[in-house]
Amino acid sequence: MLRPGRPLAFLVALVLLAVIGGALSSPPAARSQAADVLLNVLATGAKKLNIVIPNFTVLSGADPAGLSKSLPQVTARDLTFSALFSVVSDVPPIPAGDPAGLRTAFANFAAAGAHAGLLGLLSLRGDRVEVEMRLHDLTSPEFRLISTKKLDLPAAQARRLAHKVADEIVLQFTGEAGIADTKIAYVGVVGGNKELHVMDYDGAGPTRVTSNNSINLSPVWSPDTRSLAFTSYMRGYPYLYRMFPFENRPVQVLAGFLGINTSPAFSPDGQSVALTLSRDGNPEVYVLNLATGAFRRLTTYSGIDTEPSWSPTGREIAFVSERAGGAQIFVMDAEGANVRRVTQSGFNTQPRWSPKGDTIAYTSRQGNFDLWAISPDGSNLRRLTVGPGNNEGSSWAPNGRHIVFQSSRSGRYQLFTMLADGSEQQPLPRGQGESTSASWSPRLP
Amino acid sequence: MAYRRGSVLLAVPVLVLSLFLVGCPKRPATTAASAPPPTGSPSPAAPSTSPSGPAMTPSPAAPSTAPSSTTPPPPSEFSENANLKDVFFDFDKYDIRPGDAKILDTNAAWLKSNDNLVLIEGHCDERGTNEYNLALGERRAKSTMNYLVAQGVQASRITIISYGKERPTCTEHSEECWAKNRRAHFLVKAR
Repeated sequence: MLRPGRPLAFLVALVLLAVIGGALSSPPAARSQAADVLLNVLATGAKKLNIVIPNFTVLSGADPAGLSKSLPQVTARDLTFSALFSVVSDVPPIPAGDPAGLRTAFANFAAAGAHAGLLGLLSLRGDRVEVEMRLHDLTSPEFRLISTKKLDLPAAQARRLAHKVADEIVLQFTGEAGIADTKIAYVGVVGGNKELHVMDYDGAGPTRVTSNNSINLSPVWSPDTRSLAFTSYMRGYPYLYRMFPFENRPVQVLAGFLGINTSPAFSPDGQSVALTLSRDGNPEVYVLNLATGAFRRLTTYSGIDTEPSWSPTGREIAFVSERAGGAQIFVMDAEGANVRRVTQSGFNTQPRWSPKGDTIAYTSRQGNFDLWAISPDGSNLRRLTVGPGNNEGSSWAPNGRHIVFQSSRSGRYQLFTMLADGSEQQPLPRGQGESTSASWSPRLP
Repeated sequence: MAYRRGSVLLAVPVLVLSLFLVGCPKRPATTAASAPPPTGSPSPAAPSTSPSGPAMTPSPAAPSTAPSSTTPPPPSEFSENANLKDVFFDFDKYDIRPGDAKILDTNAAWLKSNDNLVLIEGHCDERGTNEYNLALGERRAKSTMNYLVAQGVQASRITIISYGKERPTCTEHSEECWAKNRRAHFLVKAR
């Protein structure tokens, strides 16, 4: 059944198989613990789970757009991107309603070294598309069904079905859903202006979401993924706004004080926005309560305090201050007390607290700019990028395993992704002009 | 050019903008932010700090009908004036260099004999991150403003704006070019 000339490059230790088997045969309540073990095994080395993603089987309806081939390819790329799987795709679909054929196909996959196989059943009903996914454990004698799920979306969002299938597969094997069904917001240059854009996490479907012909900066997603906070000069001065890229709603002004209104960061509960205002004389960090509109000042220093970034618990905020000389990363309680210095040397900005809480990524200037990471207590300092060019502006994927950032290595700024340890650096498809200031969304609802 | 559209909108008092702000009855813009500290004249070198505490939070009961005269005119209404020369800054610095103080003395003298409003733009070179450069440009404009105020220019005539690294005058990637971009620039508008 496998495509000739494309042998499975599956190299997996028996110990991994044993771990997977344990994970799959555990009852659901215990799965997460086993999954953590599996994730640790997978994340630490080159050992990957071998999975076959055949083309989807069309159960009903016409498929003029070729979704039965394109969707599984998207799923396959998502799983490859996760760095947890070794994927074989572009395999002929498994005939519907043919248990013997299914068994033969899975037996062939297993013989080639596959640990898991997917059966995707596609139903096309005009403006809706449904995918039923059936994930099988090919290491068990009877090719046990691990998970089955029906997913349904408007045809215009069919690509998200492929992402959701991938995220479900990752969930089954690691205990945490994947991050394929997410978006990346960024600043793109259009006609000399900086406008906000949104695209799929893999660079597909870039769409401009502002058209005010001015300078728009620093987009960040709200936790519900419905809105972006950003700084814009659309009314002349740098005010802070909120816009709704997927809805027909007017732009809101979040902060329009004299001076700068910059560096927004939504609190994890979505009820507040930390930001920088200079209304009291110099750049300080504040928190805006979105329900009451009240601003609470957190920092008091006569120079620059800026760039707040919340811890995932919402109890602490990392920020940049020049109170110790050049710009350094500090952490304070969400009420502004108990300020601790995190970085010690260099010139450090853009702290971005990992969704897992254990790491703060930031940008350090040592000649050029590169990305580094450090634990919030100042330990475990490590460098993530080593040129070429400048590498800055990191944003975490919601699982804390991937980072999107901007690099000038190709001569102009474009967006790249990498794993959290700095490996697997790869460019996202480049647009017409420079792309900067990426913000990786939470998982879409 | 990019601000022509915005300038029309800004003619509307900022309080109108706040109507879009869900759940926020307050006027988000205050002019107190651009004024020097409430007590005395600011010293040129020392960044000003305002008192902290509950006073920092706008009272929910604050009237939303501020006089329109306190809303600054949009930047697009200001224009170049050859009598006002740029001043420049060292890398990552926002203090006024001794040589540039003389330029500011000349600028201050002109402003005292010409009753214009003045907009001070703070700019940075391309190195560094957007958000930090917005803060740095703000500090450069503020330092410049503080110097002029200390020389007797009324603070109420001055508005500052930071462009961070978004509006370079020189686009080559060289130290010579970067030095030209680390500047405070002046625009004026008749009262």
